[in-house]
Amino acid sequence: MIETKGLSKSFGGIQALSNCTLSLKGHAITGLIGPNGSGKTTLFNLITGFLPPDSGEIYFKGKRIDGRLPHEVASAGIVRTFQLTRVLPKMTVLDNMLIACPRQTGETLSSLFFHSNTIRVEENQNRKRALELIEWVGLSHLKDQWAGNLSYGQQKLLELARALMANPTMILLDEPTAGINPIMIQTMMELILKMKEWGMIFFIIEHNMDVIIELCEWIFVLDNGEKIAEGKPKEIQQNPRVIEAYLGV
Amino acid sequence: MDLFLHLWIMIFIYSIFAMSLNLEMGYTGLFNFGHIAFFGIGAYTSALLTLHQIPFALAFVVALVASGFFGFLLSIPSLRLRGDYFGIATLGFGEILRMVFQNEVWLTKGPMGLPGIPKPILFSYRFATLPQYLLLTMGLTIVTFLILRIIIRSPLGRTLRGIREDEIVLMALGKNAFHFKIKSVVIGSVFAGLAGVLWTHYTTFISPGDFTLSETILVLLIVVLGGKGTEWGPLMGAFVLIFFQESLRFLKLPTEWGRYLAPLQQMIFGGLLIFLMIYRPEGLIREKGEGR
Amino acid sequence: MSYILQSIFNGLLAGCIYALFAMGLTMVYRVLNFVNFAHGELIMWGAYLLYLFMGDPFHFPLYVALIPALGFTILLGLGMDWIVFKPLRRTNRLTLLIAALGISFFLRNGAQLFWGAELRTYGFEIKRGWRLFHISMTANQMAIILATLGCIIIVYLLLYRSIIGKAMRAVSDNLELARVTGINAKKTIRFTWIISSALACVGGILLALDTNLQPGMGMINLVKAFAAILLGGVGNVWGALWGGIFIGLAENLSVLFISTGYKDSIAFGMMVLLLLLRPRVLYGSQE
Repeated sequence: MIETKGLSKSFGGIQALSNCTLSLKGHAITGLIGPNGSGKTTLFNLITGFLPPDSGEIYFKGKRIDGRLPHEVASAGIVRTFQLTRVLPKMTVLDNMLIACPRQTGETLSSLFFHSNTIRVEENQNRKRALELIEWVGLSHLKDQWAGNLSYGQQKLLELARALMANPTMILLDEPTAGINPIMIQTMMELILKMKEWGMIFFIIEHNMDVIIELCEWIFVLDNGEKIAEGKPKEIQQNPRVIEAYLGV
Repeated sequence: MDLFLHLWIMIFIYSIFAMSLNLEMGYTGLFNFGHIAFFGIGAYTSALLTLHQIPFALAFVVALVASGFFGFLLSIPSLRLRGDYFGIATLGFGEILRMVFQNEVWLTKGPMGLPGIPKPILFSYRFATLPQYLLLTMGLTIVTFLILRIIIRSPLGRTLRGIREDEIVLMALGKNAFHFKIKSVVIGSVFAGLAGVLWTHYTTFISPGDFTLSETILVLLIVVLGGKGTEWGPLMGAFVLIFFQESLRFLKLPTEWGRYLAPLQQMIFGGLLIFLMIYRPEGLIREKGEGR
Repeated sequence: MSYILQSIFNGLLAGCIYALFAMGLTMVYRVLNFVNFAHGELIMWGAYLLYLFMGDPFHFPLYVALIPALGFTILLGLGMDWIVFKPLRRTNRLTLLIAALGISFFLRNGAQLFWGAELRTYGFEIKRGWRLFHISMTANQMAIILATLGCIIIVYLLLYRSIIGKAMRAVSDNLELARVTGINAKKTIRFTWIISSALACVGGILLALDTNLQPGMGMINLVKAFAAILLGGVGNVWGALWGGIFIGLAENLSVLFISTGYKDSIAFGMMVLLLLLRPRVLYGSQE
């Protein structure tokens, strides 16, 4: 799915990512782990076009995507969530969902006045789907609340549902279980596994090792901006370099 | 009676002007600090064309297109960056445009201004008297309100509000935020131009001094006081502030006060703007939603 | 030829003054992360305050009047931060910027209330100066150049040789980190406002010395200062210095090609050009 070749990025002399080559192939859920500051989020920012790489190439489904703008990458099928959850605070939960629909007819000015029927039909369909997804993540009772009023955990669920609403091929999750309570973590994991059954592909940054081990089929490990290991969860757990990186020996 | 009609004409013109700014600032979250420029382009375009015997209907259309076009031109360089840049670019544009009006004497007669701008004639009906003109402005205010309402309540409006809330999220979801912001500015500029056209044919005399920062501050204050990001806020704000400003003009105050009165009133407006930002940034009407 | 040389000289002179404006504006931007739309009014008030203390009823000589003018401008800068910007530090940017514009408008009309809208000058007689390689310069202009150099040296010493200056640079690099490491953010912010206002005041006085006083002088110079900042790289104090000088030169040389009525719009034109040519924006580093 995603392939990177020799990807590097530095910020004012600090090498955040150096010569990173990795290839996500065939696995439904791939994990990305590493100590703080190892370049995980930077890698996400590069893949999704929020930062341009200093050097290197990025491919998605065989097509080169580095140098594309964030919205182009998203339209190509990669949708991301954010480490510190970002909902649209002064919009309702339902609007937060509806806004994510790609290529809406009602977003062009002329169609507002000439194709109002098409828009109405489309809106009804989108609304139906949005309500289903809101129901599915258990936020139905909050659909008319401002998203900013939700608890942090609820916002994370909303963000996940919203990503799905955008109809991507692949979702990049940046720490989906950080800062939420254990029950919510359980819910989140079940939802992710359910989406996997539906055929969604994931690339996940996560610090909670239990979550990673349970969800992922393949794991990449970054340390100081370099890939130091990859493999199945079991192998990674026993890899001496990984243990060293985490314990900081 | 004439005062009453005059008051309402001004309120409606400023309502249109404020509604157009509200789309950009209240709904899209853009810092347009030079909105008077687009009002001015509309006003001068229509005035110059009608003074050269071009039918009002055509001048009207050209004026709106010109306003929208300049909005588009200004958007391209300044909207790609953070809000502050758009703020300063629009602010600068407002000042520069006034310089153009002042310096291109062959076209605008410079500081002398353009007198004798004809009253509008539409379908061979001349809107000459105050009641007739009131009808015209009211009608166009309603049209503006309805068009903007369709936009605001549509998926387009939703996406614009999303950009105001968090542009980054919208990009991550595949929306070309830059394009949407341009759309918002162009629509806003067209309606600002409309307000300018109505104003120019009402006063029948314009000069560069009519398009200063003070006007931008006034319309900004109207939007902020009324409640930005609400459908009725700009109308409410226009009613309160224009009522205040225009009534002041009709009080029989000694002329030697004039030198002090104008800056004093402007100081009050500036102070009110600061006060609102600190103590009631949402204005008189709150944006609806199940917030708290 | 001598006309061109003279234009270059005039450009350098104006550039020095713009550099002072831009350096102050960029410092506040660096530390507090917003464009102070009322910076122009600090410039204007600085100039008018000197006018006040030199005229009725004080009649101070220039060098004495300088002290209260500087002092009150600094108080004005600190005051706007204390009354308006501080309570708004944690709100969204739109609120902050509208408030800043409100301050700007308030102060501009305040000056107009006291002094009226007409042009004023300090009323020094223009002394015949020197001629050097076909360039004529007056004593005032010499003073401008010397004063700018003095200010730049003081800013350099404050930023790089004093403890508070080092703290200021640290705060602007990372406010959170600076807090953790125990740098007194409040004190640093206060210090920033003091330098920024002082530079605005000196710059405003020099500008008025070279041209004249007018309540609208703040706004137009804000745009110039901002263009200078963009040119030198936002937040870069020395970049702002060079940017300012560049704007001054461009402005004065432009007179060779276009009508003088548009001299003030050169800075704006350059700003738009720069924004067009800027490479792709890094959204990820927005916060």
